[in-house]
Amino acid sequence: MAIDSSVVLPRAWPRRHIGKLLLGVGALCALGYFAQHSPVLKALLQWSPALAAGFGQNILISLLAIGSGSVAGLLVGAMVVSPLRVLRWPARLWVQVFRNAPWLVLIYFTTYVFPFEIRIGSAYVAFPDWVKVTLGLALPASANVAEIFRGAIASIPSTQWEAARSLAFSRGQIFRSIILPQCFKRMLPPWMNLYAVITMGTALASLVGVHDVIDTAQIASNTVNQTGFTVVIYLSLLVLFFAYCYPISRLTQYLERRYAFY
Amino acid sequence: MSLERSPVKRLLPVLLGALVSLSTVHLAHADATLDKMEQRHALVVGVLLSGGPFGGIDPATQKPRGFNVDLAQELGRQLGAEVQLVPVLPANRVQFLQQGKVDLLIANMEWTAERGEILGFVPTPFYRVGGTAAVLKDSKISRWEDLKNQPVCTSQGSSYIKPLTELGVEIKAFKSSSESLLALRGNNCVAAVHDATLINPLVAENPEWQGYRALSPELNPAPSVIWTRKGESDTQAKLDPIIQQLHRSGWLIEAQTRNRITPASPALVELQKQFQANGA
Amino acid sequence: MTHWLEQFVHWSAGFGLNYNFLLDAYQRGTLGQGALTTVLLCLLTIIGSLLAGVGLAAMLTSGKPWLTRPARVFVEVTRNTPTLVQLYCAFLVLNMLLTEAVGAANPLTPFAWVVIVISLHKGAFHAEALRAGIEAVPTVTLEAASSLAFNNRQLLWNVQLPLALRFALPALINNLIDLVKMTAVASAIAVGDITYAAIMIWTQSDNVLELMILILGFFGLLSFTVNCVGRWLEARLRMPGYGH
Repeated sequence: MAIDSSVVLPRAWPRRHIGKLLLGVGALCALGYFAQHSPVLKALLQWSPALAAGFGQNILISLLAIGSGSVAGLLVGAMVVSPLRVLRWPARLWVQVFRNAPWLVLIYFTTYVFPFEIRIGSAYVAFPDWVKVTLGLALPASANVAEIFRGAIASIPSTQWEAARSLAFSRGQIFRSIILPQCFKRMLPPWMNLYAVITMGTALASLVGVHDVIDTAQIASNTVNQTGFTVVIYLSLLVLFFAYCYPISRLTQYLERRYAFY
Repeated sequence: MSLERSPVKRLLPVLLGALVSLSTVHLAHADATLDKMEQRHALVVGVLLSGGPFGGIDPATQKPRGFNVDLAQELGRQLGAEVQLVPVLPANRVQFLQQGKVDLLIANMEWTAERGEILGFVPTPFYRVGGTAAVLKDSKISRWEDLKNQPVCTSQGSSYIKPLTELGVEIKAFKSSSESLLALRGNNCVAAVHDATLINPLVAENPEWQGYRALSPELNPAPSVIWTRKGESDTQAKLDPIIQQLHRSGWLIEAQTRNRITPASPALVELQKQFQANGA
Repeated sequence: MTHWLEQFVHWSAGFGLNYNFLLDAYQRGTLGQGALTTVLLCLLTIIGSLLAGVGLAAMLTSGKPWLTRPARVFVEVTRNTPTLVQLYCAFLVLNMLLTEAVGAANPLTPFAWVVIVISLHKGAFHAEALRAGIEAVPTVTLEAASSLAFNNRQLLWNVQLPLALRFALPALINNLIDLVKMTAVASAIAVGDITYAAIMIWTQSDNVLELMILILGFFGLLSFTVNCVGRWLEARLRMPGYGH
């Protein structure tokens, strides 16, 4: 990897961020100190475990959605680039339908249309709402992953195919040992970007009654019933999502720059 | 792009529809709730957790709490079943009950004739409440009729939507009362219509709601009942004496005090007297 | 019209779908009104977001730190938080504070808030695309133009922006398709768009699936239209030897 060595991690990175980190820690300390005196911050501290539990639910949904969406998306993506029309055609339809549907509508769709429990033999398997929301997010995720996969394959110069074919590689061999290893590297940044977008999409879960961080915040706001607290709790929602998604987006940008050698 | 014409899309709804109808048909046997309770020793109750004394969550333990929750637990205790609480929204509670996702609804849902036609209910009410409107103190609205052609905030699936629509009100329905009340304070509607048990304590006690007053008389005062699926008369017959007993023993009044529901409902005292006279 | 509808209802009943609500004039009216609101919302936010995007991109590429910094912070915060939370913060919190400050004079309706929030949200995405476009204009082109005695203003309007726009167009169109889908969140704050109209119908009766298929078809049609217009623009603006 001689090419990569020209793009190294900037040395000043940790030093630049120590200041910001210290600032953050200081702000937290100040918050903890003032919290004893301000009823609003006291209420926020009191509700923070509930908010954290709610955000845990959001993260669980996002991880499961990107996981299942990626598996399905790679399958669909493989079908999209397949030479067989029988495989290609339904896969393209899948991608078109689920990339163009609003996520909120898909979530309503899976929550209200799917059954609440499935009977397997004599056992009932519950199908809770948050799993349905996960499915509702996994559907567009799979379509997007398929598109990312197709794009990555298309981005490999066709000369590589020609060169490999002239060395008597079969189609499967070219895929496995030449194209795919390069694809995964190219897919990583857009895939991470998709993950961040899905995490933000989990906010919609509250609209169908899943007990997530936004639902928790609204219950808290309704229970405490103070303007100051309402302002603070909605702002803390922004902060929570930002604190989770911004590092991912920075890492994505860094990887994009690092892999931008074609 | 053409969603309607592709064979996959055409089949999917049919399949899903069949699945849904199958599951409902399966559950609609003669009183499936009691059967299920005996088989699984579980009672699935839908409760409304919008914050406030009827249903909210405990910030420390993240467990549901409130009047609805206490009542559900008490029913489970007396029936010897483990209570599973499912949070519902005003917009999806009827669907959850009809689909069979929950067996009972204790979700601030008052009795109305329309609901009585599509659902079953336990005849003895556990509370009685009507709607009231929070309006600005200096607003000109003094009667319900004054709301005609004015924007009014409420929650989706609320029982007050129908009487308000009949008054000619322009409805703005939100997911829950939380958004609706904030929208009122943002001046996006002239009034917010909810259960009196929600609005009265706010305008009476909360200093931030000083500028607002509640509209009287109450709109459509109606008994709050426990809802079941239609035709589940065995469940209703089993629950009715329990509720009567809870009135007689004063358990419901106690639960009201414990959950700090103010002002205390005169209906509960009335019902207690009625059952104490009938019973024994 | 009604004849066609009846035929459609009859035809769909064959698949187990109950579209009877389409025959009810009131419910059909609500849905139609909702569809119109969604279209209006899309048009206004497309214009608003493009304006916001151009403004932000101008700030980002101005080279003046006091403009670049706030724009960068705004873009990052907007891109890394959910639209729904932004909408709640704006409509429930900001709007309440605004009303407390100015009283009943606050003219902003839920509809206006949705237009503002989505315009700014997508504007941040447009700005990034436009910035990339502006930075992709080769310096030699700019040097050549300035050697032809173009002044800075002319350089920007006649050389830099037209080229940047062509470069950014595919990304802009993708953003606009996203925007069309995003307007569905308006239903969360009771703006009467098509999703809200559908929710109001299905809370009264049990026909979620039928309404869902209808809405998905409607949004499919909208994004298809945006896509077609975008491709047409791309083809029209195509310059030999430049861009995609």
